[in-house]
Amino acid sequence: MTVTSPPAAALHAPPGTAAPPPRRRRLGYERRRAAWLMLTPALIHLTWWIGVPVLATFVLAFTHYDVLAGTISWVGLDNFTEIFADETWNLSILHTVVYTFFTVPVAMAIAVVIAVLLNTKLRARAWYRAAFFLPHITATVAIALVWMWMFEPNVGLFNAVLSMAGLNGPAWLSDPDYAMAAVIVVSVWKGIGLKMLIYLAALQSIPPETYEAADLDGASAPRRFWSITLPLLKPATFFVFVVSMIDAFQVFDQVYVLTPDGGPANATTVMTFEIYKTAFSEFRISTACAQSLVLFAFLLVLTVISRRMTGKDDDAR
Amino acid sequence: MASQTSAVTRRTVLGAAFGLGVAAASGCGGPAPAGPGDNGEASGTIRLLTPIFEGTEGQKTLEGLLATFKQQHPKVSVEVDYTTYGKLSEKLTTSIASGRPYDVMLMGVGWIPPFAAKGVLADLGEDQQELTSRFNKRVVDPGVYQGKVYALPIMLDTRFGYYRKDIFAEAGLSAAPKNFDELRDMGRKLTKREGGKLVRAGLDILANDLRQTFLPLLWANGGELFTPDGKVAFNSPAGVGALQFMTDVILTDKTEDFGFTAPGAATGVPLVQGRAAMMVGHNNVWLEIEKNAPDLIKDGKIGFFPIANTRPAMFQGGTLGTVSAKSQSPAAAKALVRYLADSDAALAACKQRGNVPALKALESSEYVKANPAVQFAMGNLDAAYSEGGVPAWLEIRGDFKAAIESALLGKKTPQQALDELAAKATEAMARG
Repeated sequence: MTVTSPPAAALHAPPGTAAPPPRRRRLGYERRRAAWLMLTPALIHLTWWIGVPVLATFVLAFTHYDVLAGTISWVGLDNFTEIFADETWNLSILHTVVYTFFTVPVAMAIAVVIAVLLNTKLRARAWYRAAFFLPHITATVAIALVWMWMFEPNVGLFNAVLSMAGLNGPAWLSDPDYAMAAVIVVSVWKGIGLKMLIYLAALQSIPPETYEAADLDGASAPRRFWSITLPLLKPATFFVFVVSMIDAFQVFDQVYVLTPDGGPANATTVMTFEIYKTAFSEFRISTACAQSLVLFAFLLVLTVISRRMTGKDDDAR
Repeated sequence: MASQTSAVTRRTVLGAAFGLGVAAASGCGGPAPAGPGDNGEASGTIRLLTPIFEGTEGQKTLEGLLATFKQQHPKVSVEVDYTTYGKLSEKLTTSIASGRPYDVMLMGVGWIPPFAAKGVLADLGEDQQELTSRFNKRVVDPGVYQGKVYALPIMLDTRFGYYRKDIFAEAGLSAAPKNFDELRDMGRKLTKREGGKLVRAGLDILANDLRQTFLPLLWANGGELFTPDGKVAFNSPAGVGALQFMTDVILTDKTEDFGFTAPGAATGVPLVQGRAAMMVGHNNVWLEIEKNAPDLIKDGKIGFFPIANTRPAMFQGGTLGTVSAKSQSPAAAKALVRYLADSDAALAACKQRGNVPALKALESSEYVKANPAVQFAMGNLDAAYSEGGVPAWLEIRGDFKAAIESALLGKKTPQQALDELAAKATEAMARG
């Protein structure tokens, strides 16, 4: 960032009396105008497509908006009282937390191990990296359809393998005891690629001299990993953690495709699916807005916590 | 002074945005007076939303029909939005909320009261009695709300029992089941397991939508969805008995394992593949048999039966054509609805979906004569019952699946599952 020093005359002038010369004033005006001109499209876009819907969501959450009749009335906190009395919504919050709890740390742990392995001098390293990244850029629906086949209880891959060992596999996606686990497995598999890429970039910024010094001191590979690699990956870990948490709270596609209608006896229903169902299947837009605000509150808290953590990290630097 | 100006500006911006949000919300949807051209010559561009005419074949069929419609109404252009019944409510919500609903909307039985009650649909100005003389009464009535006709019927769809005569013969059975006890007995006899793994379900109740399997059982057991004055009735002893029957099939008799199949499973319909001896299914399963196992038809191996216990029952839905109350070209929209409900278009739609024609004139068509499933459905319409009937139905119906599943999985008793569902439904109806 460049800081321009003010001219000496301006520094010596009494406050409030020094007017900039006309040419500078004009230049400042032109710069401001140019800035506004460049900012205006983005501002219009942000206001219209993000600002207004967000504001409308906040307003509608406190109203009864009948989308079919086109009527609206103020109901205060009734929508919130209603959703927290709804067993299915509360279940969806629990499922979202469980999903996040298992998806984020597991995927991060696997991603860091893979990143470390792919950071070594490995043959066909670029191919492996591409292969691990591929699920991230593949359409979730396509991925989910392939996994659906693998989970299929009669002709699916998993139960075929289990039957070779004489075991009868479960109906993975139809059994409430296994459905969420199946969704988590798919999400972990899909989420590894991006996390691995971020870790890989972070690993490549670790100075090799650190490892050379550790080698000279006779540090073993696990010791180098725990004492050098992991601590130096801390900023990347924070970033991956925050992004993954927010992503996990917003999970929809794979749950929707793998276990339609919230899964067996609502075993996999998550907050985003309930919001979708309330708005588009039940035509209860205001209730869906209240649910969206609850999701927003979760994400806000997570973001503030992470911001504080990463903020401290920035301060330390 | 500067800070005050800044505060005013922020307030102004926030106020404007707030106003915009409320205006956007309140300006959406809702009834509107009929637009110009209601009684005039049909003209203009109209938008059609259709959950039927799916896939390439369906699209080809509709394009052909619309080409003929264009010849009859040269001043009318039709823009089509294809969807499925699964996505229909989503499309309708967004179009209504945006203030630009489709001019013509095809929707199911049970959908009309919720939309008509909120003023979304236009009164078609048809005479109910005259319609009943041309169409099957079973699909005329669902299009009528408070004495006004809001929808014209295009086709019916039904759910009833299918059985494999060859598998029955192997097991020494000849006649189809006549009540719940016989259904369970036969289901047990016809179930086949190898090493504990189910290879043939005696009775498949999972290949069909669970709600649409439960409902014919409820009706067959003497129950009703709602009382005539619109109160919840499906958690009556008859309803609990129906769900108990389904639970017994899965948990007690083990004639089918939960997860063995699902509606629209990529692995196909078990009965067609010989992996099920009986099933509750849609009349269009016949198309699947024609396509994938024509020998079963040739050898006469497929039989049908109405679900019966205290009375015979068959689930009956249908597709109806409606016009938006906000349509700017109501005459053109109504003309399209009348055209789609008329014989040529309705027959083409039925052929494409394997469904039952709503027009009485089509009862003797070659299509009906060549389709035994359709013939069976038409022959049993006296025992047909339809879902819906209350304005909150669209809000209630989605909760059936989870409630039924919780009973089938043994997580709740049928009584608990239905009582909880009834409480939810009562709340939804109270919300209005």
